[in-house]
Amino acid sequence: MSKELRFLVVDDFSTMRRIVRNLLKESGFVDADEAEDGVVALQKLRSSNFDFVVSDINMPNMNGFQLLGEIKKDEKLKHLPVLMVTAEARKEDIVLAAQQGAAGYIVKPFTKATLEDKVNHILTKMGLK
Amino acid sequence: MSTESAPTPTAISSAEVHQQLGALTRQLHDSLTGLGLAAKVKDWAGELPDAKSRLSYIARLTGEAAEKVLNSVDQAKAQHDHIAAETRRIGALIVKDPVAAVAKGHVMNFINDVEQASRQVDGHLTEIMMAQDFHDLTGQVIARVVNLAATIEDQLVQLLIQTAPPDVAVKAPVAHEPYVPALDGPAVNAKDNPDVVSNQSEVDDLLASLGF
Repeated sequence: MSKELRFLVVDDFSTMRRIVRNLLKESGFVDADEAEDGVVALQKLRSSNFDFVVSDINMPNMNGFQLLGEIKKDEKLKHLPVLMVTAEARKEDIVLAAQQGAAGYIVKPFTKATLEDKVNHILTKMGLK
Repeated sequence: MSTESAPTPTAISSAEVHQQLGALTRQLHDSLTGLGLAAKVKDWAGELPDAKSRLSYIARLTGEAAEKVLNSVDQAKAQHDHIAAETRRIGALIVKDPVAAVAKGHVMNFINDVEQASRQVDGHLTEIMMAQDFHDLTGQVIARVVNLAATIEDQLVQLLIQTAPPDVAVKAPVAHEPYVPALDGPAVNAKDNPDVVSNQSEVDDLLASLGF
């Protein structure tokens, strides 16, 4: 079941989007789309169906915190798990993300095992795996 | 004949240069203060060591990424060479006596060998891919350093415009506003900063301590 989940990878750096997509693919999650910032991500989330969002924080136009806020106040999207994958290492940012409803927080640079572990943990917790 | 020796030309020049430098410094200080730029210059001075740390961080990260890639390539190549040699050896055994090659387990051993090696090569390819994350991390840091340089440049041009003699026309450059990340970006000195985490386990511990 989890292998059919659809992911949205949000990051302003194309290299990082590609890395995350490839890692998800290696973990069996082959269905993934990309967005370069929060604005594009919201458009995609509202016009198509996704099951999981992996988002950076520091992005132009709309950052990850703003995207998370928009997702959580949208009735149709608020159920979506949002995993933050970011270079922001300040403790207050980590706490803020959790308070705003992020399902997990990964600090860059990260390993394949960390991403796999967090995604699986969230999916298990949500009964999606 | 006078015993008092006249100052040497070098000594005179040094003294004059010193005096002129002093006057220039005073003039610059007065100008900056008059134009309200003294505080900004103080800010730049404060940001320069930070820029230095950020540049060191870039050098370190790119160096580590290159090292990681080269190590992974070395290991993957060694495994590839091993499989290529084994393929030639097994090929020769099969040509010589196909039945014996299978019966004695040479073919099966070779298949297991290939499977193991391809799994290891795949691991090295993933390592090489992960090493490319330096692009994101250094990109964010570079954006901050470029912004600092651009700010200093803009302020210096403003200073030049405001202090230029009336007969010298100085064109104001087109203002540019590069994208500057609003947040902190990668922690370049995580170990010296108690407000930031330095690895994933610290993130997990922090969230767990708060009940998340």
